[in-house]
Amino acid sequence: MRKRSGRRTARNPIRGPHSALTDFLASNNISAAQIRDDYEQRLQTAQQQAEQEAAQQEEAEDAVEDSEYQPDSPEEQTKKRKRQQAIEKTKKSKEFARRKARRAGEPDDDDDALANEMVDEKQRPMNPGQLANCKICKKRFTVTPYSKTGPRGGLLCADCSKKQKAPGKKAPAKKRSSGIGRRQNQKTLLDGDVSNGAPSLLETCIKKVGDNIDNIEEFGDLPPQLMHRLSQILSRNRAVNSRTLELFLRPQYRSIDLYDCAKLDTDAFHKILASMPGLTRLNLRFVTPFKDAVFEYILDRDLKIQDLQLDSPNLVSNGCWRQLFIKLGPQLQTLKLWNLDWAFDDETAEIMSNNCTGLRRLKLKHLWNIGDAALKSISSLKSLEHLSLNLKQETTNEPLLQMISQLGPNLRTLSLEEFQQVDDQLLQNIHDNCHHLSKLRLTSNATITDKGLADLFRDWKNPPLTFVDFQKLRDVDTGNPAGPPDPIGLASDGFKALMEHSGSKLETLNIASCRHITHAAFEEVFSEKKRYPALKSLDISFQLAVDDYVAQCIVRCCPALTRLVVFGCFGIRDLHIHRGVALIGLVTAKVTVD
Amino acid sequence: MAEQSEYVTLVSYDGFEYILPRSAACISGTIRRMLDPSSKFSEALTGRCVLENMTGIVLEKVCEYFLYNEKHKDQTNVPDMEIPPELCLELLMAADYLDT
Repeated sequence: MRKRSGRRTARNPIRGPHSALTDFLASNNISAAQIRDDYEQRLQTAQQQAEQEAAQQEEAEDAVEDSEYQPDSPEEQTKKRKRQQAIEKTKKSKEFARRKARRAGEPDDDDDALANEMVDEKQRPMNPGQLANCKICKKRFTVTPYSKTGPRGGLLCADCSKKQKAPGKKAPAKKRSSGIGRRQNQKTLLDGDVSNGAPSLLETCIKKVGDNIDNIEEFGDLPPQLMHRLSQILSRNRAVNSRTLELFLRPQYRSIDLYDCAKLDTDAFHKILASMPGLTRLNLRFVTPFKDAVFEYILDRDLKIQDLQLDSPNLVSNGCWRQLFIKLGPQLQTLKLWNLDWAFDDETAEIMSNNCTGLRRLKLKHLWNIGDAALKSISSLKSLEHLSLNLKQETTNEPLLQMISQLGPNLRTLSLEEFQQVDDQLLQNIHDNCHHLSKLRLTSNATITDKGLADLFRDWKNPPLTFVDFQKLRDVDTGNPAGPPDPIGLASDGFKALMEHSGSKLETLNIASCRHITHAAFEEVFSEKKRYPALKSLDISFQLAVDDYVAQCIVRCCPALTRLVVFGCFGIRDLHIHRGVALIGLVTAKVTVD
Repeated sequence: MAEQSEYVTLVSYDGFEYILPRSAACISGTIRRMLDPSSKFSEALTGRCVLENMTGIVLEKVCEYFLYNEKHKDQTNVPDMEIPPELCLELLMAADYLDT
């Protein structure tokens, strides 16, 4: 204590008690006395001003009474003239034009009002940052660039500015950026919706239900096809969770389709299985939360599932898959699996093939752990009618050839994607063995030759195909973009043979990126007398040979066309299409719809 | 029936009647088949359809849709019709029944 008091006496004399705030203010060179003085001065001036104004107003009123029918005083006339000049000048300025453009379409689109406002702004006496008294409430406030001018001049504080704006002016109309309309149009195009007129009431209602799903407690007695459509919409909106799931659980229905199960947990899956004991079709996509426990539940309950479709059930172990196939295998008719990178290996595929003896439809897409051995075991599934494979591992040719020889005669649809090693031998095998195909898909291969494809379609005993997908069958060599002299992939001869064979029944054709088809071949295939009455969907993306003439021929030859995809067809500059065709992928070209 | 009236009457189960052009009402497949003269249904003879499963409120909205559809025939970029959320499920059932 002594020490402290000693120091104080040394520095400054003892004063009365004072607060920490005073200390702080003093250290920052702010004096309370000065603030008080300023305040009083301000009050005084304000009072004086008020008195003066009152006096002036009285005088003015007297003057008005006196000179009611007399012209304005010369002083006021000059003022008015000057203001008029300022307004005229403003109207010519660039800033005025800019503001006018911005305001175009607003209800109060008046040149004079705008010019007036701008002149007011210019003549504003205060700069932003200064203090001023509000003209309405007399409150003191800081001027900002947004401060409004009052009805009788002067500036208004923030609160009064808001009130000032409220009655006369409406809020500016919401502006839609031009991008949104275009994006919306493209979206409906990609959905393939090009029908004219109003959408059906059913579709409108379903969309509305989808939008308001959070408020819906019970669907009531909806027929299954509507439930399916709702499931699609909710999945697309990613709105399927354990609450909305309940809407779809109907004990009397035998199938359930949910395209997004990412938000469901094991309990939810158990609930599906428990509340729908008659389930024969289980179609669940994005089922990452699907675990062994769910399969064990299926096995325990002895469910009669015949149609199993699962996308990405990666938490299910190999052992569990095997158990499932051993138990359910004989009753399964359809099996579709996508995106399995952890479990499901060759051995599992073998157990599947040994047990699923009644399987008619098999789709394995993006499976990482199966290869040649699995292809061999699949070859033993004699009952298969629909086969679709897309494996990640490199496979050799032999097992695939064997598979086609054994399964070919029975197959109705065949889809082999991204088999890089496949060569013409496979096409020969298809030609010899498959005679009931309606759908054929071979994609992403740079070994198959044009001659091989032409040979496949010439004298093929198979009836005309309805679905053909040959995208990315082409030579890939950046050093030689035209390809070798004997064309690789689908080129002119193959294309002609394909259309000769299947043109009459073909509904869907995808030849995207088959870039060795020549202009002459297109001209021949889509010549004046040819007609492809069934063709609805055609994808000719990245066909550099296609120009306006060929595109017009295509439109003429395909009266039923509803969807034409032309990404990267830079030859098309000006195209007439008939109504009801969704034209996808053209950016700069001029399109006329008749 | 030789001459057909240009207008038909739709009646809800609680007795509300809506009179609208035949062409508009026939947007609904169900009503079109009801009114088809070759069917000899009583609806076809009288031009009066009683829809037992719809309340007046739902039927009003349905009629609004018929006229909206006819107004926007063969147009592109048709604006969506406003449907109150509390009505959409009932309307969905009605639309399914009416085949529109």
